[in-house]
Amino acid sequence: MAEPQAAPVSSLPAATEHPKPHTKKAPELPILERKNWLIYLLYVRRDYDECKAVIKEQLQESHGLCEYAVYVQALIFRLEGKIQESLELFQTCSILNPRSADNLKQVARSLFLLGKHKAAIEVYNEAAKLDEKDWEISHNLGVCYMYLKHFNKARDQLNNALELNRHDLTYMMLGKIHLLEGEMDKAIEIYKKAVEFSPENTDLLTTLGLLYLQLGDYQKAFEHLGNALTYDPGNYKATLAAGSMMQAHGDFDVALSKYRVVASTAPESPPLWNNIGMCFFGKKKYVAAISCLKRANYLAPFDWKILYNLGLVHLTMQQYASAFHFLSAAINFQPKMGELYMLLAVALTNLEDIENAKRSYEQAVALDKCNPLVNLNYAVLLYNQGDKKGALCQYQEMEKKVNAVKERSTLDFDPEMVEVAQKMGAALQVGESLVWTKPSKDSKSKQRAALSGKSYSTQQPLGTNQALGQAMSSAAGYGKTMQLPPGAGASAPLAKPPSLPLEPEPGSEMSPEEPSAPTGAEEQRKEKRKSRQAAD
Amino acid sequence: MVYVDEIDMDEEGIAEMMLDENAIAQVARPGTSLKLPGTSQGGGPSPAVRPVTQSGRPITGFVRPSTQSGRPGTVEQAIKTPRTSLTARPITSASGRYVRLGTASMLTNPDGPFINLSRLNLAKYAQKPKLAKALFEYIFHHENDVKNALDLAALATEHAQFKDWWWKVQIGKCYYRLGLYREAEKQFKSALKQQDMVDTVLYLAKVYLRLDQPVTALNLFKQGLDRFPGEVTLICGIARIYEEMNNISSAAEYYKDVLKQDNTHVEAIACIGSNHFYSDQPEIALRFYRRLLQMGVYNCQLFNNLGLCCFYAQQYDMTLSSFERALFLAENEEETADVWYNLGHVAVGIGDVNLAYQCFKLTLVNNNDYAEAYNNLAVLEMRKGHIEQARALLLTASSLAPHMYEPHFNFAVLSEKVGDLQRSYTAAQKSEEAFPGHVDTQQLLKQLKQHFAML
Repeated sequence: MAEPQAAPVSSLPAATEHPKPHTKKAPELPILERKNWLIYLLYVRRDYDECKAVIKEQLQESHGLCEYAVYVQALIFRLEGKIQESLELFQTCSILNPRSADNLKQVARSLFLLGKHKAAIEVYNEAAKLDEKDWEISHNLGVCYMYLKHFNKARDQLNNALELNRHDLTYMMLGKIHLLEGEMDKAIEIYKKAVEFSPENTDLLTTLGLLYLQLGDYQKAFEHLGNALTYDPGNYKATLAAGSMMQAHGDFDVALSKYRVVASTAPESPPLWNNIGMCFFGKKKYVAAISCLKRANYLAPFDWKILYNLGLVHLTMQQYASAFHFLSAAINFQPKMGELYMLLAVALTNLEDIENAKRSYEQAVALDKCNPLVNLNYAVLLYNQGDKKGALCQYQEMEKKVNAVKERSTLDFDPEMVEVAQKMGAALQVGESLVWTKPSKDSKSKQRAALSGKSYSTQQPLGTNQALGQAMSSAAGYGKTMQLPPGAGASAPLAKPPSLPLEPEPGSEMSPEEPSAPTGAEEQRKEKRKSRQAAD
Repeated sequence: MVYVDEIDMDEEGIAEMMLDENAIAQVARPGTSLKLPGTSQGGGPSPAVRPVTQSGRPITGFVRPSTQSGRPGTVEQAIKTPRTSLTARPITSASGRYVRLGTASMLTNPDGPFINLSRLNLAKYAQKPKLAKALFEYIFHHENDVKNALDLAALATEHAQFKDWWWKVQIGKCYYRLGLYREAEKQFKSALKQQDMVDTVLYLAKVYLRLDQPVTALNLFKQGLDRFPGEVTLICGIARIYEEMNNISSAAEYYKDVLKQDNTHVEAIACIGSNHFYSDQPEIALRFYRRLLQMGVYNCQLFNNLGLCCFYAQQYDMTLSSFERALFLAENEEETADVWYNLGHVAVGIGDVNLAYQCFKLTLVNNNDYAEAYNNLAVLEMRKGHIEQARALLLTASSLAPHMYEPHFNFAVLSEKVGDLQRSYTAAQKSEEAFPGHVDTQQLLKQLKQHFAML
């Protein structure tokens, strides 16, 4: 910092008597404005203490009528977070100079910072009458309308601001509004324009990358996230998103090295630990995966994705009681998801509760629309229970889904799933109509099939789950990074997908809190009793 | 009848904490003083994982009467905070319990006191060492009349020509009680020169801790360990000091040494158990607490901890029965509240939000000043979308426990959502004060400052 102005008070006469080159006497500045240059200099140097001293002196001399001193004092208060005081001072400013749009803008800005959006809009409208061509007024009006949920008005104002003067922030807010209204493609258009306008803004790049990721356009997502990471290698959100993409493609080691970079900067981030856990799961290090996922769950007990992953890993480890526990917890937080019910049913099958497993499958089939695995698992269960007819029914449902998926994309099916499906087909004698591209193996005898079906009903989810698990982990990854709920601290300037409500932060996730402490007190008392007896 | 070991009797009242200045260094270097909790150099778990009692002191596994978890800044603050937040017992203005012990002991004799002290001729009794020692013990421990005890001890030590270490230690104890720490230190040191005793080392270490010189106390303990290798009380003393200084990893090492010597040491087992629990190893913590159970410890806290360890170690068959036992054994409403609070966490763990809600409510019914329960209720209310309720609960929580970062942070996030950036900023600042290393708080503050700086 600059050294404090050497006694500005004493230097003041010098400053005023500074002989100007022309012979005429320097024009006498009115006493009110005499030291504005100094106030400004100190303020932009962030020498706030000195600045306050000069302002105080100036206000005493001018009996509080120096507009600029009051204005800067208010700015300093705002920087210190004392919005209420700064609002009062800005109001003083606008009384001193009612024709200035700046003062009105600042009053409105203070109101906005206090959360009084309606009042802020009124004052901004006043300011807009004084100054027609100011992008800030339009931009801030847009933001205020956004808080009040008047999205149409907000959009118009922000577009207006963009026409007057283009700024990154305006683009950000506009994109946010589109996302809040659920228009992904429009939001992407906006962000594209924004990135063209300022290609080095990591926030914009990250957000755009995440949007592409949600649409499944990996190529473009990778490009934008990579750019963001080039400009800012330690960017937490971009790293997490990039890592989850690598995970989705099975590069677990690369993803882990990415995560290692951010693990030191954000050691208590649930999404990060969730993704690390799923990396270990992909590398078949199940115990490490469980410990990472459990840490994530301890830090964020309301996050269904972590619970889902925990259930999945426990199914893989064939610990069905724990798997049931985590999956049912996940269902409590996210009741509208087919795969959860399917996995729950798999756990129930292994816990020998066939009735509830059937119910759970029913629920899963009712909720799920595009995952053939659900029907296949259900078919296997029914077949093992001897209900051939129901099994056939589910099998046909599965075929429908498979056909639909094949038409839509060239998704590769998990080979294990295909194999089991063929066996089922053979067992149910419908194998001819199959849609699988792979040549089917020799159909086995029925008993074998039944047996294999039996054995598969236990192992079945394993292989397929890997694909699912990876998909989940990445989904969890970008779902989380996408909107990083306030609990997880980040406040991505993005809409929240409706699937996840506001997730409060894991409050005081305390555990044996005080109770563990009194243990000691208790012991102490015990010892005292003993000693008393001894004394007796 | 009323004998309590002087070594473990270490209570500071408000007056001692605030109004006497025995520490030499006002601003000591971090790691050399007990007054500044400072940063944990031992790499213990952060407040995001392990709850804290006062700013920066993680909760310990074992409470002793001399446990000091943090100190209030001013007398006013000390009076305002809950009475048990700094010591194991409700705090008093000066260590008045010594006086009360005396009065309590009177009640045991229905026909008045056993000896009338004012009528004794102490000089006469000081001549007879056999009588003098017993009489001193009576006066000091039963009557709690430190001045008369000191008179008697002074006469007796003169009679013994200053050659009896026992009298020196007693005089030192009297001085310590009277608050004359330097004089006490002299007596204990000279007693140590005469005769190496574990007790004397412990007394001297107590004096040094009172003078806020933990490093001196540590050196003294280590010298004592050279004289008495493997003495449990000395190792345990070292571990306690490290724990006071927030150096959890060294403390755990020394507690393990204690267990190598004495594998039934309750304090060491409890501390190591709670350390393991908070460093992601509930299974190992469970083994330690089960060990306590095998040793015949049978109280509410132990079963509560067992229940928690079982739940987090996924031993679901034992979880709820342990908590039931803990509820049954709870001796007062605070303990019941603790158990319900933890049951609320179990309910959150199985995803049953309504049950969790009821549990936290019951916590508050049993103990109205339970800040953590207020905070967690607020989180549940937020999930339901009741913003105003959540806000009120968080305000209550942060006023009850200003040292907890969670209510402040939650309040900041909530305010930021509705756009009240000023309140959000003040709350975030408090959160940062309570837990400087919290990443999310830092991000929030950065964002708010951007808002304030922007025109």
